[in-house]
Amino acid sequence: MSNPKVIVISSDDEKFPVDPKVAEKSLLMKNMINDLNPDGLQEDFEIPTPNVRANVLAKVLEWCEHHKNTIFPDDDDEDAKKSAPVEEWDKNFLKVDQEMLYEIMLAANYLNIRPLLDAGCKMVAEMIKGKSPEELRRIFNIVNDFSPEEEAAIRRENEWAEDR
Amino acid sequence: MNLQESCGPSNGEGSYDSLLTASTSHIEGNSGNNQANINISNHQTGSNINNGKSNLASINAKDTTTTKSALINNVESSIVTKLNTPPPPQSGDSDVSVVTPFLVKHISDQSLIPKDNYHKYCYRHNPEITCNKRTDEDKMSKIQNALDKLSSRDQEAISHVWSIFSAAPSSHRHLILSGILTQCCFPQLSYVAQEVSNLIRIDFISTLPVEISLKILCYLDCNSLCNAAQVSRKWKSLADDDRVWHHMCEQHIDRKCPNCGWGLPLMHMKRARDMTEEDIKPILKPAAVEGPSTNAAQASTTMTTSNSEEQENKRVKLSQEEHIKAQKQLKKRPWKSVYSERFKLEKNWRKGTFSVKKFLGHTDGVTCLQFNRKYLMTGSYDTTIKIWKIETGECLKTLTGHTKGVRSLVFDSQKLITGGLDSTIKVWNYHTGQCIATYKGHEDAVVSVDFSNKSIVSGSADHTVKVWHVDSRTCYTLRGHTDWVNCVKIHPQSNTIFSASDDTTIRMWDLQNNQCLRIFGGMENNGHIGQVQSVIPFTYKEDLIEDGSESEGEGSHHPANNQGGNQLPLGAQENAENAANEENQLPWNPSYPTHLLTSSLDNTIKLWDVKTGKCIRTQFGHIEGVWSIAADTFRVISGAHDRLIKVWDLQNGKCLHTFGNNSSVSCVGLSDSRFAAGLESGAVKMYCFD
Repeated sequence: MSNPKVIVISSDDEKFPVDPKVAEKSLLMKNMINDLNPDGLQEDFEIPTPNVRANVLAKVLEWCEHHKNTIFPDDDDEDAKKSAPVEEWDKNFLKVDQEMLYEIMLAANYLNIRPLLDAGCKMVAEMIKGKSPEELRRIFNIVNDFSPEEEAAIRRENEWAEDR
Repeated sequence: MNLQESCGPSNGEGSYDSLLTASTSHIEGNSGNNQANINISNHQTGSNINNGKSNLASINAKDTTTTKSALINNVESSIVTKLNTPPPPQSGDSDVSVVTPFLVKHISDQSLIPKDNYHKYCYRHNPEITCNKRTDEDKMSKIQNALDKLSSRDQEAISHVWSIFSAAPSSHRHLILSGILTQCCFPQLSYVAQEVSNLIRIDFISTLPVEISLKILCYLDCNSLCNAAQVSRKWKSLADDDRVWHHMCEQHIDRKCPNCGWGLPLMHMKRARDMTEEDIKPILKPAAVEGPSTNAAQASTTMTTSNSEEQENKRVKLSQEEHIKAQKQLKKRPWKSVYSERFKLEKNWRKGTFSVKKFLGHTDGVTCLQFNRKYLMTGSYDTTIKIWKIETGECLKTLTGHTKGVRSLVFDSQKLITGGLDSTIKVWNYHTGQCIATYKGHEDAVVSVDFSNKSIVSGSADHTVKVWHVDSRTCYTLRGHTDWVNCVKIHPQSNTIFSASDDTTIRMWDLQNNQCLRIFGGMENNGHIGQVQSVIPFTYKEDLIEDGSESEGEGSHHPANNQGGNQLPLGAQENAENAANEENQLPWNPSYPTHLLTSSLDNTIKLWDVKTGKCIRTQFGHIEGVWSIAADTFRVISGAHDRLIKVWDLQNGKCLHTFGNNSSVSCVGLSDSRFAAGLESGAVKMYCFD
């Protein structure tokens, strides 16, 4: 018999059979697999992910597959994590529309896939970096809910950071 | 669905949200609590289409009779209103037979879908997200206008397409869309692509879980954060969050951020000013020797209290976190303001924005100075020491007693120690102006003094360094230099002394056993070729930029942490050198400073690796001898015979600013926000960047 698979089930009931190694990139799934199979995986094991739609789940599992052999640095090493730019593959992988990026980040958060969530956060940060408030409103479709007086006051309050 | 909804002229602002709420459940195909209601309402809508007589009034009337919620009312009316504008067409049964059964079926189907609250709403139709809706309204009216131009028959047909789509469950919608897309020609697809990219815009920061939003914001630089704070109320509350700015402070205060190259000062002094006099005692330190030199030179302490030294040194090493924690207890200040205050100061340093204070009074060249937040003390060839009040610039006291020029001084919160050309060392109570003690023993001019705890160290023209233990009233003489000893510094953490001499070398001594541990100098180590005028031992944890190896040519720099390439040759060199020169072997002690900065009359400033004993960087720029340097975590200030004061970046060794004077510069001092220079003319200038 072939090796047992983890079958991840999306909210819309699509089934994704993957290697346990791939599924374990998600701490949530890893813990589930280990907790419910203390003697190791004997047969196929289904994990429902009622918060993740099939198209998003497919994307997330693609990421897990690509990184199944990647060893990520410890969570605690804040500095290394912060300064490290997003890996090229991840960058291309996350070049998706905002909806997909949003869903991937929510899924990564829910499934507890730290490196994927980090990469997503960095992608959003890159979208914000160096943009004026007006540009930011346009990029993210945000309504300016400040009164003109408030806006002027807040601009003055933040002037110090301008023009390095 | 919501397209249609908002077309309705009857839909007021207030009903709009709830209307979207209802529509959402269709779109996701996961209707929640209100599914039954929707079912009913849409069913009736179907019949409205059927009889083609619906108008708002009738819906309202129906509403009262069927006791439906406002929500239903809205959904109903919105779907209906698209038919409201044109006169009701005489729709044949054939039309209806397709549309109505579809609507009826699928809307009742939706009641069978299991509840799933998590994905009840997509981003677009979540009632809590208001940001998309205004744009939608514009779009709606445009669509309505376009629709109005069509014949009523066409209007009805198009409306049917829409209502079928809006009633369709998610899977059907995909199917409908795929079908439509495959029929599109490229210009239409291009239109879709454009529209879609405009439509899919998500306010990540407002709608993601707060902890993720904060995480994103923590990846930003300060300018971007300040821009983010101006976007909307929600953004402001997150971008101004204390957690984000605390993180920013951690990244930048008292260290150079590896990402942006900015480092911000600790600003002990600033805080000190905010505290009461009593509070500041423990962390009050001489400002002139902030940072690296602090550790070495003047961990301020008292000769009278015994436990203060240890505390003092610990205080010196306090992480910025503890410092700021201490500050927070004093004053609940937002981290953003802590950051901005330091940022403004750093910006002034970078841009060279400053004001100059002048202190005039000495009648001969100024040879030495030190300052803290309140006082500036200067020693001169005119045999006096002057104590100035920095704020006003007035001379508070003139201390007389030395019979020849004063060459060196160092003070803390209680006492002042001076060394003079008259070969004596004097200890003063500068509050009263009295000379407490005079130490005689050197056979020639005392040109340098330093103290730590209860030891005074002096360097003299008689080529010796003397260590005076005040308590035991003993004095040790350290011999080895072959010319004047121009500068001595104690490194209290490792109990070592560093001395710089006219013999072009720097020596490192063990204060415990009075042995010379290492000599820094010589051609093979790229040492000074002129008299060494000052030395500053310090510890630097990050990477300092070193000079490239010879083969890489002058001026080429590479990161010091280039482990593979750099470590090996250095180690090899060290081994070779150690084999050749046994006396230069140094058993490593982790409390030793990692680096030295030295200045010399050979016009250079050099950076040394204490471990290997080699000069790893030479800073060129002065065209005459460099008399004096001062340094903190970020900067090196140098004063030279060429009348120039230069500000250097400690980390990369680049010259940031050059300031000219009308007389050569014999001594400099540095704090977070200021530096001072004593001139040969007798004038003292203080450059204030705060």
